Amino acid sequence: MAKAFKYGLKGITGHLEPAERELLRGLIDDVVSMLEPREAADQDPLAALVGLDLDVQAPTDRALLRLLPNVMKDDDAGSLEFRQLTERSLRESKIGALRAAAMGLDRKELTLTQDEARLWSMALNDIRLVLAERLDIRDEADADHVHAMQDWSQAEDVESYLALVYNFTTWLQESLVQSMMASMDRRT
Amino acid sequence: MTTPVATGVARGTYAAVDVEERTDTSEQGSTALLSAPDIPWNLVVWNDPVNLMSYVSFVFQSYFGYSEAKANKLMLEVHRKGRSIVAHGAKEQVEQHAVAMHGYGLWATVEKASSAGTGKGGARG
Repeated sequence: MAKAFKYGLKGITGHLEPAERELLRGLIDDVVSMLEPREAADQDPLAALVGLDLDVQAPTDRALLRLLPNVMKDDDAGSLEFRQLTERSLRESKIGALRAAAMGLDRKELTLTQDEARLWSMALNDIRLVLAERLDIRDEADADHVHAMQDWSQAEDVESYLALVYNFTTWLQESLVQSMMASMDRRT
Repeated sequence: MTTPVATGVARGTYAAVDVEERTDTSEQGSTALLSAPDIPWNLVVWNDPVNLMSYVSFVFQSYFGYSEAKANKLMLEVHRKGRSIVAHGAKEQVEQHAVAMHGYGLWATVEKASSAGTGKGGARG
């Protein structure tokens, strides 16, 4: 069984079983593959170098749009212009956090520095955002409904399995954030 | 936003926030700067049913350097009113904040300060 993250003498520590690590690796791979920018053959190498992507469009996939949202509520053109300048580096920073978490999973001891913990919390958050879209969590009532699924013996279809996975990552992220808060309190 | 149901982790962290209105002296400088009336853009963070309340507060504390009390107050405003203005500034500055918020997975937008509808004034507290 996984143990919640906690903050103690050794810093922020947690414990995950091999199967739980494997599960998280799979989720990380899924989100990374969603975020990896497609490489167009005719791409301007200089534009790519400075992070510009002039061909970019707002994502049609809801989960991807949640990860890479429009920067203006009622201005699609302004949002698209901003996206051309920023989306590539946003994708890269998200992939960076996810890969950092994946590397942490390869270590025997799950002891995280403050910065590693921050990257883990970002990675877990992006995983949860994607799972939540797949589970169609649109409001607090949907979220409560999913939260009610806590028993792995209830996993009888894809949706209930996803709900349990979502609750596991929620639990893990919450304990991680509480540990980071405790660690911040200790330093000040 | 959400709090996990069956985890048993402390929820009391944000329970006392409503009554807590203390001013953190460490942020006086930036607050004075950000509250200047001639600065035309707002950074808005929107509620969603996925992000953890603790995580949103953590992001406000660690990224903006807000006190725990101020971060929790803004987080609760997002949760209850659906949105909160969490920073003001020049357009480039709030855009940079928005990208940082997107990096953390928060749903943030920028808007001209004059077009602000609800939630206005939340960040001035």
